[in-house]
Amino acid sequence: MGDLNSKKIGNLDSPKLPYDYLTREVGTVPLDQNRPPFQWVSEVAYKNIHRIVARGYDTTELVEEGYGLVDILFVDFQARIPTIEEEQMLNYIMILSLEDGLSMPAALARIVAKSKTHLTQACGASILAFGHAYGGYAAFGNRLSQYLERARQEGKSLGEMATELVRAHHRDDALGVSDLMLKDPAAQRLLARAEKLGVTGEHVAFMREIVKAAQQLSTTAVDLDMLGATGAVMADLGFTPEATWTIIAVTRSFGAGAHFIEEVEREGFTRLGETLTSPEDYDGPPDRPVPPLAERQQHAVPAHAESLAQWKALFEERKKLPASGFALVEEIDDPRNPKKAH
Amino acid sequence: MFPRKTAIAYKTEEKTVLRGYNLSDLAEAGYSFCDAMFVLFQGRIPAEAEEKMLKYEMGEFMEHSMSPSAASAISVIAGRPHLPAAVAAAVMTFGSAHGPGAAHGYMMNQYLDRALAEGKTVEEIAKTLVDEYMDHNQPVMGMGQPQHRDGDPRAEPTHLKQEELEINGIYLRLQRSIENYFHARRKKEGRSYVPVNCVGAGNTALCDIGFAPNAAWCIGSVVRGYSCAAHAVYTLKKGRAWAASRNEPMVQMLDLSMIKYAGPEDRPVPKQEERQEYANKQKATGDYKKWVI
Repeated sequence: MGDLNSKKIGNLDSPKLPYDYLTREVGTVPLDQNRPPFQWVSEVAYKNIHRIVARGYDTTELVEEGYGLVDILFVDFQARIPTIEEEQMLNYIMILSLEDGLSMPAALARIVAKSKTHLTQACGASILAFGHAYGGYAAFGNRLSQYLERARQEGKSLGEMATELVRAHHRDDALGVSDLMLKDPAAQRLLARAEKLGVTGEHVAFMREIVKAAQQLSTTAVDLDMLGATGAVMADLGFTPEATWTIIAVTRSFGAGAHFIEEVEREGFTRLGETLTSPEDYDGPPDRPVPPLAERQQHAVPAHAESLAQWKALFEERKKLPASGFALVEEIDDPRNPKKAH
Repeated sequence: MFPRKTAIAYKTEEKTVLRGYNLSDLAEAGYSFCDAMFVLFQGRIPAEAEEKMLKYEMGEFMEHSMSPSAASAISVIAGRPHLPAAVAAAVMTFGSAHGPGAAHGYMMNQYLDRALAEGKTVEEIAKTLVDEYMDHNQPVMGMGQPQHRDGDPRAEPTHLKQEELEINGIYLRLQRSIENYFHARRKKEGRSYVPVNCVGAGNTALCDIGFAPNAAWCIGSVVRGYSCAAHAVYTLKKGRAWAASRNEPMVQMLDLSMIKYAGPEDRPVPKQEERQEYANKQKATGDYKKWVI
């Protein structure tokens, strides 16, 4: 072996570098003896050779005592046993969340299935369908909580705060009020069931005000949708927006599993190269000759800009090419007004 | 968005219908989520005992503390993607070692078929199954769990629950026979006791209440997604992103000192002008082959 630290390689002797690259230490970092070694730290669950314990309850004893999945969701996420009515309500919500026809989770599961994969890959993929538009329970719930907090701090009524919320977010996909369920009574029935079971609180009350505000401010017919009904009741059941997001996504994944199975049973698999895309479906640059490599400099247009005006002009030009990514603007936290950090 | 013929469900502006039942009506009528799982995968309302069995199983399957699935969820959320990515990763850990439910189901179906074809009893085919796996040094599916060395605490109680509910069908008979013969053969060979695991017990019950291998696997693996979500949310809210902070009292999962390297020694990068000779020499000596993965 040669000397690791004697050769100049590329720019690695540049004085602009933050430290001396030619004399860097080799080998791994010794174990840190000053702190306790790594362990899996959890407030949720532990197990030993003979027990599995969630939030203090032995899970085998829980099921022997007649508690089930729905109860244990409260145990895992809230460290408590739910009341019978709360268990009934979550059970109701989970039934409604199980299937949604050939919507995105099912479509994703089916596409993954076509590649001849494990079922679990398809079920996992279906969970990835849950974002801030489809099933945006985290976005919905966090906003609900933030506005409720503001109502308390600013001494405003739920109605006043609902109007502010709708004015600010009426175009949001996760408002909870839309034209999606004008003919399907399921969302209304869900809220009515929650009220009948006596499990509603400030979130459902606020949601009702949001519906009223949205109906007053909208020029078209809108009403409570499944996201709004489910999200509000889940919040009143004590689930955080993040817990709700994942519980509903996982519940839908069972349905996606059935879609995986049906796809394999009825449609079969797709091989690499089998899927063709018709030129009629293509609207990118027209077919053009590949320039000889020797002429590349004549054809190549360097990307870098040297002035703000040039940068802006190039940026706007690049927006015209679909899938380049320049036309997309994703929201990031404003450092002057950060969201609650996790 | 995805034109398909489907026998599972349809959704209109008025309702969502699963296997012919309006989902909202199903919930209003007081059916449980476990009942709905029978509708989803089997197109039928289950008997009470069957619903109880599934409730028991989904309850016990849900949380298993630190398994590959929970570890995945915790690791993925360290990078702070959206939560569903961590939960999806957790569900995707279920394969041929972690909760291989479908394979166990297919194994049972295959040997039951053979019993029929070969004119053997369930007990006889169980012996055949164990012998064929063990004779070829293959693990008998449904037996053994690396953490619960004396037996998964959920496993035997699941068998007992099935018997208590009087839904012990041909699958439990086969599984019990597999276990009996497996234990006897290992004992005879002077080998240690390897108890039934949660797949052997749980999947057997799922088969006896009518779930096909992949449907059973879906239930067993996806239900774990809930607890993995809890582990991910906990880590998101109470853990450090990146899992490598030196300001935490305990050494973190991805602290540099947690890396133990066992690969080739550090070596100088060859100059480009030496490259061809260097590369040919490496190929000729073949030392690299022990590192090929």
